[in-house]
Amino acid sequence: MPAPLLQTSAVAKAFGPVVALRAVDLSVAPGEVHALLGANGAGKSTLVKILTGVLRPDSGKLSVNGTAISLRSPIDARHKGLAPVYQDPAMIRDLTVEQNLRLTGADLAAVRRELADMDLDGLDLDEQVRDIPLPFLRMLDLARALAFDPQVLLLDEITAALPPDLSERVFEIMRRWKGKNRSVLFISHRLDEVRAHCDMCTILRDGRDVASFEPAQEGGETQIVAAMLGAASVPVKETRERVVGTASADQRPRLVARDLVIDREHGGVSFEVHAGEILGLVALEGQGQDRLFEILSGDARASGGELLVDGQELKARHPYDAIRRGVVLVPSDRALALLPQRPILENIAVPLFNRLARWGPVNVKAERSQVQEAITRLSIDTRAAAQARRLSGGNQQKLTIGRWLAAGFRTLLLFDPTRGIDVGTKHQIYELVRELADSGAAIVMFTSELREIGLVCDRAAVLHNGSIVAEFPANASETDLLTAMHGLAVAP
Amino acid sequence: MTSTPSALVTTTLPRPTSRATRFRRREGWVVAVAFLLVALMFWRYTQIPTFGAFEIRTITAGTMTIALLAMAQAVIVISGGVDLSVGAVMVLANCVAARLMEGASGAQVALITVGVLLMAMAVSGIVGLIIVLSGVPDIVVTLAASFTLAGLALIVLDGPGGGTNTTFQKIFVGGFAQPIPSILWLAGVLLLVWVPFKRSRLGLATHAIGSDRSAAFLSGINVARTRVIAYVVGGFFSGMAGVVTTAFTGSGEPRASIGATATLTSVAAVVLGGVALTGGSGSLVGPSLAAFCLALIPALMLGLGWDPNYAEVSRGVIIIVVVMIGGLLQAKRQAA
Repeated sequence: MPAPLLQTSAVAKAFGPVVALRAVDLSVAPGEVHALLGANGAGKSTLVKILTGVLRPDSGKLSVNGTAISLRSPIDARHKGLAPVYQDPAMIRDLTVEQNLRLTGADLAAVRRELADMDLDGLDLDEQVRDIPLPFLRMLDLARALAFDPQVLLLDEITAALPPDLSERVFEIMRRWKGKNRSVLFISHRLDEVRAHCDMCTILRDGRDVASFEPAQEGGETQIVAAMLGAASVPVKETRERVVGTASADQRPRLVARDLVIDREHGGVSFEVHAGEILGLVALEGQGQDRLFEILSGDARASGGELLVDGQELKARHPYDAIRRGVVLVPSDRALALLPQRPILENIAVPLFNRLARWGPVNVKAERSQVQEAITRLSIDTRAAAQARRLSGGNQQKLTIGRWLAAGFRTLLLFDPTRGIDVGTKHQIYELVRELADSGAAIVMFTSELREIGLVCDRAAVLHNGSIVAEFPANASETDLLTAMHGLAVAP
Repeated sequence: MTSTPSALVTTTLPRPTSRATRFRRREGWVVAVAFLLVALMFWRYTQIPTFGAFEIRTITAGTMTIALLAMAQAVIVISGGVDLSVGAVMVLANCVAARLMEGASGAQVALITVGVLLMAMAVSGIVGLIIVLSGVPDIVVTLAASFTLAGLALIVLDGPGGGTNTTFQKIFVGGFAQPIPSILWLAGVLLLVWVPFKRSRLGLATHAIGSDRSAAFLSGINVARTRVIAYVVGGFFSGMAGVVTTAFTGSGEPRASIGATATLTSVAAVVLGGVALTGGSGSLVGPSLAAFCLALIPALMLGLGWDPNYAEVSRGVIIIVVVMIGGLLQAKRQAA
């Protein structure tokens, strides 16, 4: 076996208490297209950032061509043979393409040659970046990366949202790079592409490399999915007897989405949620889930389709309109929902203000009694009552849910409610969510942890490319869910 | 996976925008401001029967300082910051120059001019360094700096005073009815300082960090250093404004309110001159033309026989209306 072109050994990185990478050993041989795979939050993007000089590892070693290197900045990484193409092209929108190229110090003639090779020499480099559609920006970014003649080309989700013929040109370049005995690190959620174009793959899970093999081999797909899920792929035990389907069939659904268009190029999202029901929503990154929740919570408007709340159409111009109809959102970024410097009491009371005092001063007595009730119900540890930011992540999340408890709601939208929360508090949140549903709320919960479907939800819907591609019962296997998330058909 | 046979689909290249569209988008605002300026000048011309070189010189030399301050502000706003100390730097430069130049010879005056410019660049650079190193918002640091610098100006010169050399005055602002030097200086600064800067990698980097800091970082730009350099370049223009004030008035004036008013006018000129307050786009030409428009408006209102207070009111209203129109045009473009 030839000496690796790119190698990492025991690379680790933590952000405060959150460990993103524990110890990653990655080895890419020359002349190899190597896929880097992993479920959301497995550490892929952190590793890419370390390999491109954006982040510095806390420990561990990088080497290119057998020489140990440390990367001080993105430009340093390029000069040391690692050139990236990011999912969001790193181009300045206010400058022209040519100015962008000069800014990075790319060789203009080389970029033009690469563009001609891709049959894209018709692109006008004097155009402002903001006027160029995203797929072509990605190709330009790729041409710029190639102009640095890198040892290793890092392609981060480059084919996402790329039309098939342009994807084909990307694969062509990958083959060419291989032919030059250089390497490509290819990151993609599309397992069919990985199998068709990659020689090796390394799978990350929980910040470690858990497997490395040839993806094209017999049963490679199953093996990838199994490695991504790890031990968690064992079906989760039912934690307790669950009352599924309390909603009687004749009852009107609480929330109905009909062909909601969340992204102009793709189909629509349709689903129904009844009172007392928890619908789990799963998707790979960037399938339109952020936008869907913005639309459901009244923060954005769909470009087509309709949204019914209690049988009546909701045309929200502002989250306020949705909240008035009882539809409330708990975002995953708690900093977005809370007033970090204000006391817990006030944080819970803010959504109440509309009711406590339309005009004039707030009725402090009424505020206190309603808030106290919510705190007791949530068992929030109020020792840090002075400022919300001093609460732990879990308690902050309880607080964001608790705000709505006091204000009253009938439909709850939860976006990844347990991201970055310790296991104990997670279970408290699961119980809280279940309890809310049992008391009559309809809940839509997006989750990036597939096991939560089995743990808390009644049904699961899979979002792919801006539409719901499959629905499953809560006891569906994670393998089936993950397969559907990749847009592949699940055998019945 | 929806498997579209790739051979059947061909993604066509985007149609390039026409040259006319590009020009309209990139230079349209500056052209509009230039037209506004010509119209206002013509109006002024019809107001004064004796309109001639003297009048022009009053306008050009009198507005030079504000135009230079607008340039200082524009560089920093383009880099994604703001500087509320440009006026104070100008006042300090004016006081230091006036104190040192009193009774100095020609050669000494030239040396002092260079020294004052270097001092202004250093002062602004330190302000930029504090912003980058401390992480305190630029608006706070520059506001605090403006108080400190105004105090320093009073220490240098405890009241109106100082002096300068008359040749020096003529070189910068021309004689009684001689508008040419002031116009040449402004055009010269734009052509010899701004144009090369804008075309350099440093100038591109300045636009880049104002447009999108994280993309700029990923493009390999040293964001912190570029931010500090933007303040240094701004300091050069503020220092220039101080030197020109010394030449125009022939003395130093340490009053803090002069600096504060000048700073606010510079922000207004930047906005009217088509520089986005969010950073990343615009040039120095628009703001300097806008500075002249802003200076002409009160004069025109006075010419109409208006109360000077109403002239001030109308100046504010015009800024709001013009910028609103610009905002609407921008929104229309983004919707299209």
